Amino acid sequence: MRRWPVPAALATAAVVALAAGSAGSGGPADRDGPRAAAALPAPVTPAFTPGPPVALAAGRHVSRWAVVRRPATARSAPDPSAAVVARLGVRTPEGTPNPVAVVARRTGADGRPWVRVRLAILPNGSTGWVPRTALGGYNAVRTQLHVDLRRLRATLTRSGRTVLRVPVAVGAPGWDTPPGTFYVRNRLSRYRSPAYGPVAFGTSARSPTATDWPAGGFVGIHGTDRPDLVPGRVSHGCIRMRNADIRALARLMPVGTPVVIA
Amino acid sequence: MTGPAFRDIDRDDALGEAVERLYGCTRAGLLRRAAFGGAAALLATLARPAAAPAAITDVEVLRFGLRFEQLQATFYTQAEELGTIGAMPPAERRWAQTLGAHERAHVKIIKEVLGPKAEPAPAFDFGEANETPAAFTRTAVAMEDLTVALLGGVTPRVQDRGLTAALLGLLTVEARHAAWARHIAGADPAPRPEDEPMALADVQAAVDRTHFVVERPRMGGRAAPPFTG
Repeated sequence: MRRWPVPAALATAAVVALAAGSAGSGGPADRDGPRAAAALPAPVTPAFTPGPPVALAAGRHVSRWAVVRRPATARSAPDPSAAVVARLGVRTPEGTPNPVAVVARRTGADGRPWVRVRLAILPNGSTGWVPRTALGGYNAVRTQLHVDLRRLRATLTRSGRTVLRVPVAVGAPGWDTPPGTFYVRNRLSRYRSPAYGPVAFGTSARSPTATDWPAGGFVGIHGTDRPDLVPGRVSHGCIRMRNADIRALARLMPVGTPVVIA
Repeated sequence: MTGPAFRDIDRDDALGEAVERLYGCTRAGLLRRAAFGGAAALLATLARPAAAPAAITDVEVLRFGLRFEQLQATFYTQAEELGTIGAMPPAERRWAQTLGAHERAHVKIIKEVLGPKAEPAPAFDFGEANETPAAFTRTAVAMEDLTVALLGGVTPRVQDRGLTAALLGLLTVEARHAAWARHIAGADPAPRPEDEPMALADVQAAVDRTHFVVERPRMGGRAAPPFTG
């Protein structure tokens, strides 16, 4: 990119020579001008040259999330006087930073940027507006997890391509896994609860029936000590996988990944 | 107008302070003030030998350059993905998209040059700085001015002549970016007859004060899952 092509170098030498010749008084030093210019060293070759400009990657499969940076009130509209939908803390019940999925942005009634986020509250699917300043930096994910309640299988895609498909167990009748669009809130591991297998993902989905469950009945995606029940309809709403499958998922699925249950 | 109001560009006005130091209080300004008094004190100051610069390796320069380019590239990329740039008039959109594409190219090449010595990208939080076209443009001006000052400061410290030549190539492009950004912002593209270099430590301090570079949130835990099971 920045290497001088030979014609350019010659042209430069010629300009230098012309300048030397025209500015002087015609003495011997001026007659040496062209030769002196030609003897000038060539430009130093750069150690590297950037390639062409890098266009933006296609953003079709990008989802964004951010952690709640300070306690905030989610409202029904981007307006400080709009109705309160929920109050957001900076930590999840599991003690990890509290993420929210970003749905939209808009300048609010106060002239400041507001962000519409998915909320981990009942009824499932709730959203609310929070001031941009309540959130941390945006994070982007290109993964998405689809949980098929009818076929009892979960499919992870990255940039629209399937990277993992595994059988799952879902909620038993009366403890149905709630359908809807949610997101992964955290990833727990190295705990001592064999029933949850080696890894458990928390999601923003809430069981509408297990509301008196500890922490309020959040739906998780986790391993199991009863692999013989997978696939099946046996859980209290959580999505269970065989331990080898949850380990594979843990390697591929980052926090913030949208979870579509249908 | 020689420059935009930098006060509301970033948190704590860190970039603004840095740029004001560059364009508001220069060595030339110091000399002018000295002409009206305190000349002896000034002469004494100038006569003092400069402190020996801290030794810095070429790899360290490149690593810092990579982090700074990642900061810029993410700033432009995110603004484009969020739709901030898409909401701008065509001429401004072309400017912002061009600069973003250039910064991404800079990140790519520096990462390639560093190879395994390249460090992973940090996390960034630009707050409101790239949420609206006005805030985005003002921040871009400050960033580009700061980049010119950074490259002006570190390039002469680089040992390898080929690397110096390469950084000069980046410096001239960044200077074009800065002038273009200033033009878009309605500011003077070349407010001074010279650009003042800035020490790497000073640029680092300015970037630190923006809080644009943040710790990546740790989203994992060891708590017993309280999920419905």
